[in-house]
Order: sequence, then structure tokens, then C-alpha cells
Amino acid sequence: MCDIIWCKKEKDGKVCDTVNYLDPYCFWNWEGKIACAECGTVYYIHMIQGHMYEGPDEKAGEKPDIYPLYADKPNDGYSNYLPGIEGRTRPYTCLPRHIYLGKADMVKFSARGRPVRGWRPQPPSAGVAGSHGYFWDIEKLSPEVWAEYLERLAKGEVKDW
Amino acid sequence: MEDKDLQKMKVCNFEDLDGPKSKEELEEMKAPFEEYCKKVFDVGNEFVKPDALKGIRWMSTTMYIFTPHSVTNLAELGAECIKVEMPRMGDPMRHTSPFNECYLYPLHDTRPMSGTGLGFVNANSNEYYITLDYHVPESKPVFYNLVKMSDGLTECYRHGTFDRWKQGYRHIMEVNPRFIYVWGGGFGYGPKIFGGSYDILGQAHAGLASVTGTHEDFGGHATKASNWCIDWYSGSQITTAILAALYWRNKTGLGTMIEFSQVQAATRCLGYTVPLYGRFGIVRQRWGNWDTQLCVHGIIMTGKSDYPDEPNPQLKYEARYVMVSAFQDADFKALCDIIKKPDLFSRYKTHKERVGAPAQIEIYKAIEDWAADKSRSEVVRILKTEGLLAAPVMNDKEVYESEHYRLRGTVRWNDDPLFGDVLIQSAYSCGLMSRTPRKHKWLWRPVGADNVKIYHELLGYPMSKIEEFYAKGII
Repeated sequence: MCDIIWCKKEKDGKVCDTVNYLDPYCFWNWEGKIACAECGTVYYIHMIQGHMYEGPDEKAGEKPDIYPLYADKPNDGYSNYLPGIEGRTRPYTCLPRHIYLGKADMVKFSARGRPVRGWRPQPPSAGVAGSHGYFWDIEKLSPEVWAEYLERLAKGEVKDW
Repeated sequence: MEDKDLQKMKVCNFEDLDGPKSKEELEEMKAPFEEYCKKVFDVGNEFVKPDALKGIRWMSTTMYIFTPHSVTNLAELGAECIKVEMPRMGDPMRHTSPFNECYLYPLHDTRPMSGTGLGFVNANSNEYYITLDYHVPESKPVFYNLVKMSDGLTECYRHGTFDRWKQGYRHIMEVNPRFIYVWGGGFGYGPKIFGGSYDILGQAHAGLASVTGTHEDFGGHATKASNWCIDWYSGSQITTAILAALYWRNKTGLGTMIEFSQVQAATRCLGYTVPLYGRFGIVRQRWGNWDTQLCVHGIIMTGKSDYPDEPNPQLKYEARYVMVSAFQDADFKALCDIIKKPDLFSRYKTHKERVGAPAQIEIYKAIEDWAADKSRSEVVRILKTEGLLAAPVMNDKEVYESEHYRLRGTVRWNDDPLFGDVLIQSAYSCGLMSRTPRKHKWLWRPVGADNVKIYHELLGYPMSKIEEFYAKGII
């Protein structure tokens, strides 16, 4: 279940009539400005625990903080904007985020401070037909993470548990 | 009896057996049982021991948790398990993750911006990952070649789909009569033959959710266990069937078809519910965190969390539940004394009296009233000091920090070949085995990561053929 902004803004004599979906994973607790995927009208919203606490209020001339993930026009044969269309919808990145802030949080160290691999994007390593080897050397894969690991090691921040 | 006759009857030589050969040696080898256990299980050194199922090769044409788990059980016990996925897409479970946030990359070379979600974890460990599109006629001989080289297969497609595609048990047994074939799905044959399955459907259809959670009278509702316990449980039930089928095949040389309905498996967890209805016509109700057969034997809420200053709400507010057990008369008396309600004991002296529903409601309320101004650890400490059984309801942070689990290696850090430092329970949550312990080798591998290993090294397809298959999207 998610809230929507059904944009009824008139532009050039035509009603925009676009449903912008406020996906709960991003907007559950969120305050800011979001642009309509079709006409670009900026709306201020404040959502608390999935409820629209304030807004949507039109903010003419202001810059949006974010785009919807997906939008469609149900009265227009269901034409839609899929995720990842520049200037209309934001990309579907599947990124872990900092809790509540909607910011990407790419984990490079485990809870005990040792390096992890598998963050996005990974370099294509495959051989024939998508084959992968059995070991990725963190030192070669990501020298900066390796360097940071050595620093942490020297500071005694790397633990066994 | 002559010595040579005796020699003939012997099945082993005493001198060759493990164990002490003299009284002195016996004394020397005596160890407290705990020390003995530590030595024979040798937690952390599993990899120097052999694999119980080495030599078994199993195909996993499965998705999600339920059927994959039946195969990963074999893989952890040492079988060579080959997971077959749709080219470039993979198991749909890869695309799910807690709140769509926790992904490990990459999924496949052609999809650098997609990852595999942590929802995939534990259900596919230690397997080899290949891709094959069964819809293409050219894939059929590849599939049959794999069948010829394997001992069995687990699949989860809609009932009869593999049969329609001419790769069901009826066709496979003509290629490999020793083959053990598992279909796992929602309902199996019967009126809902095409019904799919989810863990939640199993919990609902079997009636399990109707007896889980608190009664509506106390503000509760029918409740599903949040985790997919019926997926994990049914998968393990399939593994049991597979091991029995392997034993049967050893004796007869014949394969088996296993048809496994998940909703059917879930009914087993209902315990006395079905016979209760059969004999007395009683429809069982929910009884929440208490017990229908023992009192006191339940989970109570205390007044204060053990971590009032933590920002995480699960710690800040929720770390305040205690499991307490005091159903024997002496224990119950002690409990009543602790909570300063000796009248409770005088009214419910026998277990028969206190296990009734109205008595339980009164007793648990009295305990919670007593605990209302205490923290979880205080309650546990007081009850344990008096010799009662009490334990905090732990969260994953506490499971991680638990000395018990660390000592037994239940939760441990593993250096995954692809994903680095990962915390796992995986194979090590399934009991210890002294000779052939379970092992965790890797979490999972990208889609098609072992195409060359299986198609080229095992089946002998030339590399040019594999490249051709790949270009055509067959693998």
C-alpha cells in the first residue's frame, strides 16, 4: 500500500492527470519536495508513518528533492513512467539506506570491522557464460577499502567478534 | 570351539578398535563428558572431516525457500548440488530482500546494477549455479545429460509442468531408473492441484495461524510466525524423504518419486489439534504466549527494557519479555512467594487447578503486575536465584553475543569467497555430528557462475558450444 499524488495541474489547456506513486520504503517517514513525473510540478509533502501529515502543497518555481519511483496515467490507457527515466522517475537502485534518510549506505566493513565485498556495482569478472571464480581479492578489487582496513587494523578497531 | 572357527566368526579385531585396551589406558582416556564432546565435535575444525553425502549429485530446479532448502540440506552434508536457474534472471528469491534494501552484488554480468537479496540466504548454500532455459528444444539433451549424471532432482514448478515438458519423473526414469525425483509445491494433486504455495499459505491453510497468537478476547489475532518457518520446516521434511529414498535405492536399486505438499506438511505442527476435534468436536483456540498443558509455562512482559538508552526501538522498548516456567507444585509455590501472592498458591494448589483457562488468566496477570516495575534482567535474576527456570526472550544482537552459541559455533563469521566477511548460522544451526559435520562453504554465487564447471568440466561440452548456448540465451 502506498500513498499517491494525483497531479491535476493544468498545463497548456490540458489536465496533467498523472498518478505519482509514493513508495512506502522511501516515503514512509519523509519530508521534502517531489516533482510530478509528467508535468514537473513540485509538491511539498510531509509523511509520518505512512500518513500524509502535510501536503501535497504546490511549490511553484522550487527545485524538487526527489522524483517518484513510478507514475502512470490510468485515464490515458495506462501509459506509465517506469523507474529510472531521467528527470521523471528515479532509478530503481535497491540500495541499502541510512535509516529514515533515504541515503545510500554501501557497507564496506562488517559489524566487526573486516572488509566485505559485494557492494554495488561490482566489476564484471565473469569468464565464459557468466562464470565466476571463487575468490575476489579485496586488495585488488578495491585498494582504497584495503587501505582503510589496514588503518583500522592499526588502530585496533578490527575485532574477532 | 577351535580358534580358527572363532576367527571366522569375528567381524572385527579388538586391537584395531578405538578405545582403551587396558585399565590404565581407560583411566588415562577418561574425560568428563563435556570435554569429550568438545573433543569429538571439535567446533571450528569441521573441514578436516569427511562429508557424509560425498558422491551424491543433486539437481535443484527450485525457487524461493521451501524447495531450495531441501537441497541445501544435502549440500551442507556434502552432496554436490547444482542449482539450475533461468538465464540472466535467476531464482526470483534473489530479487527479494528485507524491505528491499539488502543486496549483495553482482547478480550476473549482464545486470551489473542488480544484486541478490539477503532473503536468498541459507536456502542455497554450497551449491553450484548454472543456467538453462527449459523452453528451448536444444536444452532438452543438456537436461537429460545432467539427469544421467545425477542421483536426483528437486523441482517446484506448477504440478505436472515438468511432465508436460517431458522432463517429469515418467520421462526421467526411462533415462535414469535410479533417479529420485522430488516435486515440492503448495497442494499437490487434489482439488487445488494448481494452487501455488507460500509459507503464509501453508500456515493459513493448515490452520496453524488460527492457533498462533493471542486470543481476540485479549486483543490478539490469528498470527503467522514472522519468519517463514513452514518453508524451512517443509524443506527439511523433504530432505528426510530424500535420505530415506537414497537408503531404499541402496537396497533395491530403484528411484522414487516424492510428491510433497507444503500445506499438508504444515498440518503436522498442529500437534493434538486434529485428534482433539475428532474425539471431542472441540475447535482449538489461540492461547498466545501461554501453554494449554502447563502452567506456569509462558512468556510474560516486564515493565522495563534492558536497554533504555539504545536508539534502536527493538532494544529500547522490546527487550522486556521473559520466559518463565514453574508448573510443578514446589516451583509454583516458590513463584507465588516471590511475587508476594501466597493466596494464589493456596487457591491453585494442584496443577490441574491452575492449568484451567480462568486460573491461567489470573496467575499470569499477577506475575506481570509484580514485574511491572522491574526490568527484564532483574526478573530473570530474581527467579533464577530462587531456582526457577527463567530466560530472557533474546533478540538477534543477543543471539550474536550469546556465549552458548559461540561455544557451539552456531553463529560464526565466515570469509565468503565472493562476499567477504559474513555472519552466518547456516549449516551450523542444525546440530553437531562427530564424524561428518555439516559445513558452510559459501552463501551463494552469481547466476550462471558455474556454467563452465558443469557444462564443460562435468558434461564435456566444448567451450565453443557453451559460448554458442550463451549467445542464444539457452544458458
